[in-house]
Amino acid sequence: MSITRINIGPIHPSTHGVMRLVADIDGDTIERIEPHIGFLHRGVEKLTETRMYMQNPPYMEKLDYLAPMSYDEAYVAAVEQAMGIEVKERAMYIRVILLELQRIASHLFFIGTIGNDLGQMFTLFMWAYMDRDKVLDLLQEATGSRMFYVNMRLGGLISDLPPDFEERALNTLDYIEKRVREYELFIEKNPVFKERMKNIGILTPEKAIDLGVTGPVLRASGVQYDVRKNLPYYVYDKLHFETKILTRGDNFSRYKVRLLEMRESIRLIKTAFKTMPTGDAIGMPVKLRSPPTKNKISIVSREAPKGEVMMYLVADDQKPYRLSIRSPNFINLTAITHLAKGLRMADLFATLGTLDLVMGCVDR
Amino acid sequence: MKIKREELLQKVSEMKTAGYSYLVKITAVDYVDHVTALYFLRDIDKRKDEILEVELMPADLWVPTIMKDYTSADWYEREMSEMFDISIKGRKASRLLLEKWDGLSGPLRKSFAWGEDYKSM
Amino acid sequence: MFGWIERKIIAKAQYRHGPTYVGKYGILQNFADLVKLFSKASLDLDNADSILYGTALPILISITIFTVLLLPIFPSLQATNIGFGLLLVFVVIAFMPIMIFLSGFASGNKFADISAQRSILMLLSYEIPLMLVIAAIGLISKGYNLQNIIAMQSNAYYIVLMPIGFFIFFIAMLAEIERPPFDLMEADSELIAGWITDMSPAYYALVLFLDYSKVFMSSLLISILFLGGWLGPAPIPGVVWLIIKAIIIAVIAVIIRATTFRMRIDRILRMGWLILIPLSLINLIITYILFVG
Repeated sequence: MSITRINIGPIHPSTHGVMRLVADIDGDTIERIEPHIGFLHRGVEKLTETRMYMQNPPYMEKLDYLAPMSYDEAYVAAVEQAMGIEVKERAMYIRVILLELQRIASHLFFIGTIGNDLGQMFTLFMWAYMDRDKVLDLLQEATGSRMFYVNMRLGGLISDLPPDFEERALNTLDYIEKRVREYELFIEKNPVFKERMKNIGILTPEKAIDLGVTGPVLRASGVQYDVRKNLPYYVYDKLHFETKILTRGDNFSRYKVRLLEMRESIRLIKTAFKTMPTGDAIGMPVKLRSPPTKNKISIVSREAPKGEVMMYLVADDQKPYRLSIRSPNFINLTAITHLAKGLRMADLFATLGTLDLVMGCVDR
Repeated sequence: MKIKREELLQKVSEMKTAGYSYLVKITAVDYVDHVTALYFLRDIDKRKDEILEVELMPADLWVPTIMKDYTSADWYEREMSEMFDISIKGRKASRLLLEKWDGLSGPLRKSFAWGEDYKSM
Repeated sequence: MFGWIERKIIAKAQYRHGPTYVGKYGILQNFADLVKLFSKASLDLDNADSILYGTALPILISITIFTVLLLPIFPSLQATNIGFGLLLVFVVIAFMPIMIFLSGFASGNKFADISAQRSILMLLSYEIPLMLVIAAIGLISKGYNLQNIIAMQSNAYYIVLMPIGFFIFFIAMLAEIERPPFDLMEADSELIAGWITDMSPAYYALVLFLDYSKVFMSSLLISILFLGGWLGPAPIPGVVWLIIKAIIIAVIAVIIRATTFRMRIDRILRMGWLILIPLSLINLIITYILFVG
């Protein structure tokens, strides 16, 4: 059969944002694929150079709109490091709790979209979305906003947790834990799902490292790499959790590793509540003119839900001189060129779905 | 670790064999009098990071490609060459990754001319 | 009407409300959709073969309606009662994928092209088991007259006599009318909308209508062939029985739609040839031994 070249996107139900894939297909098999990105490129890195330090977190949050706080926090941590500000201990715990809630919300969204990518008529999506809403409600209670929180301040947070937050959070987490079990049953008892996911889009550990992917995609390939464990920040080394590793590296393990991670996050939050100290968690007010920090360089690595976020900040007096963001989605996307070879048309989108991309973060 | 541009390729393959299997990021910083290209390498097992800094003169902006050792350098190099006008030698030219078709010249350089619309911001 | 039921059931499965606004309980929502779609501008496609593209869909709809006319709703309510009624129904139904193929192929869109190829592949996988089941039905009822088939079921419905046959027929029928998990032709997450990607709004409204009438047609057919058509306890009239049965079948199809993932084309082919065809042959042989031999 001859080779057909088709354009998938920029507007397509399964590209998870504005992305264009140029695919050469032979019948139903993908011969070659090339992602075209940049539709959402808005020069965030340049934009930060024109703003005061604490004017930037809102921009950071728009990178990955499914897990905004992870990026916000990484940026604020980079600024803190450059200025030599210590984070209060209670604030560290609260940040960890909120970041893990963010991770749960992001992974729930993934569970929903993977159903769509496999041609399920939005049922799974609506279920997961509903549960994600419950997590967002918690975050709203803690920060005052559902989507874009901007609750990080230098040295702490904008506010402490509300008084009954712990109880409510634990209730919601119990509920989420029950639901995660339900998803597991609903998905894994389904023969079509297993057939569509197992042994498809296999990424070997060597290739995964070579391609530079991070986060759940890397861990599903059997590489023990989690910034929370490898280069622990905040109080992650004091809290009890495991990094879940699966060895097969196929679509199914990429889904499964996220499901297991949600369970770990729930456990982690519960232990964090138990060991959380009392005290002050409020950070410095935004209006504060930041101390002069000329030419200090700070490097901060964080484990965001999608992978490793790294902020490389060259500080100037009042503004960042240069802020370089390592976006996990940007490099995870390159894996698709490798994975797509020889896949079926239908499996391409399942594979793309398991990479769990957010185009706002890819393009920056 | 500061190195010269001529040493880059050799150093990168040395690092690769020494266990720095993971390329975290390639980026650059424009210090007006010179531009520094940065290569973040990581050893996953020993939990060590190494940053290779290559200073480049604004008149002579190019670096060799390190794609021979790290496949993931592909998009990072393309991004860097777009954002800083640094040409990457040793790889074939490709379309722009992030910018429009006609392309701006190095938007992340300090000498980049902002459009009229942005000046007021 | 069926569109409303389907929307409500799926909404229930997804913790939503479904349509509520137009009419009582949103019952007129689908009509509102149709009106909206018909009022939109239509597209002229540069790459399309306009004659073929323009006629394939109307033909497809007339085929579906024609099939419904061939089915006996009530002893006295049938357009024509001919001896080979059932065979004629399936000859006509077999045209549907071909029309989809023509429409997709003529639209000049690459996604529609792929979808058209898929429709032919699907045809290969389910048409043979479907025909084998029909042969078994013909064996039991000694002919293909639809009225006669219903009359023969007064003692026992065919679903009892050949459960395997019912199972195969149901799956093949789902594939025939492109319901999930076999909705490969309009697979929205892969092919945007498959053969209807480039449809003008008015044509798309026809596709919606076609979709529902196909479900209606096939659930009627299944209830006639396997659930005894209008037969049922006396006080309720036969027509009502038939509609109740058809709705039950349709609701099962909707629940399947709300919960399953889409299958892959090569898997469907494999299932058709390696599972359905042997099963339907076994069904044919068992039927022959039990009722004829």
